[in-house]
Amino acid sequence: MEIQSDVKVKIRVNGTAVSATVQAGDSLLDFLRNQARATDVKCGCNQGDCGTCTVIYDGKAVKSCLVLAAQADGKEVRSLRGLMEDPLMQSLQNAFVECGAVQCGFCTPGMLVASWSLLQENSNPTRGEMRQGISGNLCRCTGYKKIIDAISLAAAQHVVTDGTANLADLADRLDGQAQAKANYLLLGGG
Amino acid sequence: MLHYSFCKPGHLIEALQVLSEYGGRARIAAGCSNLLPDLKARHLQDCLLVDISELEGLRGIQAEGDWATVGSLTTIAELAVSPLLREGAPLLWQACQSFGDPLVRNRATLGGNLGHASPAADTAPPLLAMEASVATESLSGGRREFPIAELFAGPGRTNLRPGELILSLRFPLFQGKHEAFVKFGLRDAMAISLASAALSLRLHDGLMQDVRLAYGSLAATPFRATRTEECLTGMPFNEETLSLASAQAQGEVRPITDVRASSSYRRQLAGALLRQAARAALS
Amino acid sequence: MSITIGKGIPKVDAKHKVRGDTIYADDYSVPGMLYGKVLRSRYPAARILALRTARAEHLEGVYAVITAKDVPHNELTARFGQSTSVGVQFEGVYRVLADEEVRYFGEPIALVAAESPELAEQACEMIEVEYQPLEGIFDPMTAMEPGVRQVAEKQRNIASHFKIRKGNVEEAFAHADVIVEGTYQVPYQDHAYLEPESGVAWVDEDGTINIRVSSQVIEHFREVAEVLNLPHSRVRYLGTWIGGGFGGKEDITVESFLALLAWKTRRPVKLTYTRAESLLTHSKRHPFFMEYKTGATQDGRIVAVQARLISDAGSYSALSPWVLLYATVNAAGPYHVDNVWVDSYAVMTNTPITSAFRGFGAPQVNFAYESQMDELSRRLGIDPLELRQRNFLRQGDSLDTGWVYDRPVAISEAAEKAWYALGPKPAPANPQVAIGHGLGAGMCSYGRLTFLHDTSRSYIKLELDGSAVIRCGVPDLGGGQGHILCQIAAEELGLAIERIKLYITDSQLTPLAGTTTATRQLYMSGNATLKAARVLRTRMLEKASGMLGVPVEDLEVQPGKVLSKSQPEKSIGLVPLVNRMSTEGEELFVESQFNAPFTSIPANEVIEGQIHPDYTFGAYAVEVEVNRETGALRVPRIVACFDVGKALNPVIVEGQIEGGGIQGFGYALTEDMKIEKGIIQTPSFAEYLIPTAVDVPDLETILLESETGLGPYGAKGIGEPPMVSIAPALTNAIYDAVGVRITSLPATPEKILMGLLRHVEKEGG
Repeated sequence: MEIQSDVKVKIRVNGTAVSATVQAGDSLLDFLRNQARATDVKCGCNQGDCGTCTVIYDGKAVKSCLVLAAQADGKEVRSLRGLMEDPLMQSLQNAFVECGAVQCGFCTPGMLVASWSLLQENSNPTRGEMRQGISGNLCRCTGYKKIIDAISLAAAQHVVTDGTANLADLADRLDGQAQAKANYLLLGGG
Repeated sequence: MLHYSFCKPGHLIEALQVLSEYGGRARIAAGCSNLLPDLKARHLQDCLLVDISELEGLRGIQAEGDWATVGSLTTIAELAVSPLLREGAPLLWQACQSFGDPLVRNRATLGGNLGHASPAADTAPPLLAMEASVATESLSGGRREFPIAELFAGPGRTNLRPGELILSLRFPLFQGKHEAFVKFGLRDAMAISLASAALSLRLHDGLMQDVRLAYGSLAATPFRATRTEECLTGMPFNEETLSLASAQAQGEVRPITDVRASSSYRRQLAGALLRQAARAALS
Repeated sequence: MSITIGKGIPKVDAKHKVRGDTIYADDYSVPGMLYGKVLRSRYPAARILALRTARAEHLEGVYAVITAKDVPHNELTARFGQSTSVGVQFEGVYRVLADEEVRYFGEPIALVAAESPELAEQACEMIEVEYQPLEGIFDPMTAMEPGVRQVAEKQRNIASHFKIRKGNVEEAFAHADVIVEGTYQVPYQDHAYLEPESGVAWVDEDGTINIRVSSQVIEHFREVAEVLNLPHSRVRYLGTWIGGGFGGKEDITVESFLALLAWKTRRPVKLTYTRAESLLTHSKRHPFFMEYKTGATQDGRIVAVQARLISDAGSYSALSPWVLLYATVNAAGPYHVDNVWVDSYAVMTNTPITSAFRGFGAPQVNFAYESQMDELSRRLGIDPLELRQRNFLRQGDSLDTGWVYDRPVAISEAAEKAWYALGPKPAPANPQVAIGHGLGAGMCSYGRLTFLHDTSRSYIKLELDGSAVIRCGVPDLGGGQGHILCQIAAEELGLAIERIKLYITDSQLTPLAGTTTATRQLYMSGNATLKAARVLRTRMLEKASGMLGVPVEDLEVQPGKVLSKSQPEKSIGLVPLVNRMSTEGEELFVESQFNAPFTSIPANEVIEGQIHPDYTFGAYAVEVEVNRETGALRVPRIVACFDVGKALNPVIVEGQIEGGGIQGFGYALTEDMKIEKGIIQTPSFAEYLIPTAVDVPDLETILLESETGLGPYGAKGIGEPPMVSIAPALTNAIYDAVGVRITSLPATPEKILMGLLRHVEKEGG
C-alpha cells in the first residue's frame, strides 16, 4: 500500500477515461472542473451545502465536493453532459426549458442530475417527494415551484412513453401551467 | 503548511496497521461528508487520509434472530430504504429519513456519523435509546464491543482508543415498543438539529415502562436522559405526566448557545420534543 | 394580434443552460492564466503599521504582489453607471485596497497572482501585516453619538441624512383617535447567489484590459480605468451570463483586482471567491432600526405617519445613501397620508459593506409600516384588508414627497385578490398548532432615481435571410433581461425568435444599456429596443407599401411577412422585403436610445417631488401554522398578487414573483446572519440558511394587467417588487395565529416561542 501526496487516478467521466494526478486533498469536484474540464459541474460552495456540483458517482447522485478525487480512482462519474443521451434526461431538460424552471441557470446542471436520479428511483413521485428529492440542491432564483412543475411534466411525459399513463392521475399532480403544457404535449402537440 | 497524503488499505488489517502507525495524524475517509469540508476549510493542516470506503465486510445490514448488525460503512441511504429497519428498528429508520439530504445520504456512513461525534449526530439518539453496542478493532487492542453510550466523549471527541476503527453497530430488533424519533432544525432539509429526541417505551396496564429517552444537540454529546426516563416510568400517558417529565428534561439537558439558538430555547425544545415524541409514539 | 407578447415563450438562454453549455465566469480559462488571491484584514478596525511582502514576492511561481501603494488611483468616488456627479450626499468613497487602516473584517489589503490557486494562497499567508487594533464601532447607535471616533477619516459617521416634511404631523397626531407606535429591526441579508464572484482578465496586444466578469454593471469599466489611470476606452468588460445577482454584483467585486493583476503581470488572471470569502466580505442588505408612529381616526383613516430610520451603512458607504433615500420615500407605503415626517440616517460602522439588494430599502420600511397597519387594524377592530382599502393610494393622491401620482393604482384590487384567495382557515391538524392569516401590501419603484438621468441603448440589425442581430449591453441575471428584447423585436418585426442572435454585455461593442439593477432593464432597454424595432418596422412598412401598392396604415406585420389588412392576399415575405431594402440602400440597422424622465438633484436633505419614474404595487396573503410548543412555523399557503402592467412573458413574470417571494420568505424566517464585533459568525450555507425546496410551498401568483406601466406595451417592472410585502404578511399571520408580534426579523421559532412564553407568564402573573 502506497502513501502518496500526489495520487494517480483514472476516472471514467461521461464515458471517457481520464487519467490524472490529483492531490490527496482534492475533491472529485476539483478533478472534474480543473482536470476533466467538466465545467457543467458547478462549484457553488465546495462544502456540501448547495448541490450545484451534483453528479452520478458509482451509480448514485452525490455532491462531488464530498468525494475525494483519490477515492474515485477506477470509478464511473456522469455529469449532466454524460446523461444527455438518456431520454429521461432529455424530457427533464425540455421540461425545465418549457416550464421556466431555469433562471440564472447556475443550479440547473446539479438540479437536473438530482431530478434525474429521483425519477430513476421513483418514476411517479408526488410533488412532496419531488421536493424531498431536490432538497439537497439550493436554488436562489425560482422559489422551486417551476422546478417542481418541470419534474412533474417530465415524469408525466415519461410515464406516457412507458404506456402506463393515467391522464387523470397526471393532471392531479401537475400544477397550473405545467398541467396545460402536459395536456398539450400528451395530446400530441409536442 | 498544508500537507495531505492518501492511502487506500486493501484489507482491514492493513487499515488497522496504518491507523496504528499514524495515530492522530490519520483521518478516516469513507463518505467524506464531514472530512472534505474540514479539509477545504483548512481545519486539518497535516494528515493522512485513509480511504476505507471499499474495505470488505464493513457494509450492509444483517439480521440474526432479533438482533441486527450494521456495518459501519453502510450508507444512511441504505438504512433509509431498509424494510428490516423500517419494521424492526423504526427509531433509526426515522432518523435516516430526515438526515441531511438525499445526496448526502448516498455518501454518509453510519460509522462516520457516529465517529465524527457531533452532538447533533442524527443516528446517535436512536442508537442510544435502542442500547446499541459498538464493535471496534485496533491493531494493539484487538476487537471489543461496548455500549454506544460509552462512545462519545465530547463535541467531536470519542473514547475510541488510538488506531481503533468502528466496525459495526449491533442492536435489538422488533422490540414491540412504542417509539418515535423527532428532529428539530431550522430547515426541513440540510439541517443540523437544534435538538433531537428518540423515545421508546412500553405500556403495561396503561403505565409507561421500559422508557428510553435519548437526546441529540442538547449537551456536549448525545446522551440518555435517565432521570427523565425515571420520571416517566410507571406513570400513565397523559398531558400532566408529559408536562412533569418535560420540566424534568429541561433541567436534565445541558445545551449551549451558538449561532443557531440559545441554550434557553434549546431547553424548551427538550420538553417540547419529548411531548411530541411521546404523542407520536403512542398515537 | 400579438405574435410573441403575452406568451410564455421559453427563454433563449434556458436552452444552453439546461445543457450545461453556458460559460459562467469561472468556467472560462485562458492559456497561461495565473490565479489571483486577495489578502484580507483579520481585524474589523485597525491601523496597518507595516506591510511586508518580500517573502511572498520571492516565492517561486508568484508573479505579482500588489498593495495600495501600487494602485495608481486607490481612492475614488463610487459610481454606479451614472454619468453626472450627484454630490457628496449621494456618493461614497470606493477604495481598492486598504492603505493605512482597515475598517472592516475581510477588507482587501493585498493581491497576489501566482501559478496556482494554492500558491497564491500560500503567498498571501507569507505577507506580513502588522496591525494595531482599534476599538471598533459596531452599531450605528454608538456611531451616532457625539464625540465618537470616525469610522472613515474623511467622512462623518452619519454618511447621509434625509427628511420628509409633508403636512403637519404634530397637529395631526393631536387630533388622531388612535396612535400606534413600534420599534422594528431588520437584519442583514446575503444575496446568496449560487455563483460566487468571479472573473478572468487579460491585456490585449494594444494594451486594452479585457475583463470577463460576472457583473450587473458593465459600466464599471470606467471606474476600473480610473483605478489604473487609463483612458476609459482602454478597459473593456465582457459580461457573462450571471449565476445570480440580486444587487450583490452591482458594486465592483473582483474586477479592479483582476485588472491590476493582469496589468502588472501582463498575463491572464482568474480570480474566484470562495463561498466563505463571498459571505464574509461582499455587500449585504442594510440592517435598519426603525421607530414608527401612526395616527388614525376611529373609522380607520390614517392621518399621520412619523418615522425615524437608521440604516447600518457599514464601513464604506457604497450605495447606502441611495438605499436610504429609497427607504425614506417609501416610508409611508402605498397609502395616502397627508402628514408625514421622516428622519433617516445612514451611519458608518466597522462592519461589512452594506449596499444594493433586491428591493433597495423598500423591504425594510415595508416591514415596519405593514406591521403598524396590522397593529392599527387590531386596535380599531377593522379587518386588515378593509383598513388598508380605506387608505390605499389612488390616482391623483400625493406620495410622501408630495409628488402627485397621476397614474392608475391597482393596489386595492391586488390586496383583495390575494386576501380572498386564501379562503377560510382550515382546522388545525392538532391542538398544538394554531393557524393564522396575514396580509402585506407594498410598493416598489422601477427605474432608477430620476435625478440620475438614466438612459439605455439598443441596436437591431436585419439579415438578408430574415434572421436578425440584437446588440444591447444588458447584463442578464437569469430574469429574462436579454430574452425579452428578442420577444419585443420579434413582435414588432415578425421575426422568429430562434433566428435572433442576441449579443449582450460587451462594454465596447454592445450599446451601453445601463445597469441590471433597479428593476430597470425591461423598462429602459425594453423601450430602447422597442424604439429601434419601430424605426425598422416603419422602414419595412414603407418599403412594403411601395411594393404592394397598399397604404402603410393598411399594412401589418405577421410572422415572416407583411400583409394588407384589407386585402390579405397582398403580402410580401420578410426575406424578399429585406433584400429589396438592402438593394435599394436602406439601412437595415437601427440603434436607439431611451431616456427616462429627468429631474434635478435634490437641493438639500428634505426630499420633495418626483424621485422615481414609477412604482409597482402588489400584495401577499399567507397562511401559517405555528406550533405552540416549539415555535416552529410552517407556511402552507402564499398568494401573491401584483399589477405588472402587462406580462410580456407570463412565465418569466411568475418566475420573478415566485423567486422574489421565496427570497423574501428567507429574509423573514430563516436567514439569520449573526455578527459579533464586526465579524460574521455564519460564513457558510450550513449556517446562513436559505430555504430549500421542502421549506416552501408552491407560491400562488395572480397577475393583474392594468397596461399602465411605463415599459413596453404598458409593462411595469417586476424584478424587485416581489421582495416587498411578504415579510410583514408572514409576521402578521404569526400574530393572527398566536398573538405574538415579531418586531425583529428573522421570525425564528425561538423568537416565536419566547413570545408565547412571555404571554404565558403574563397570564400566569
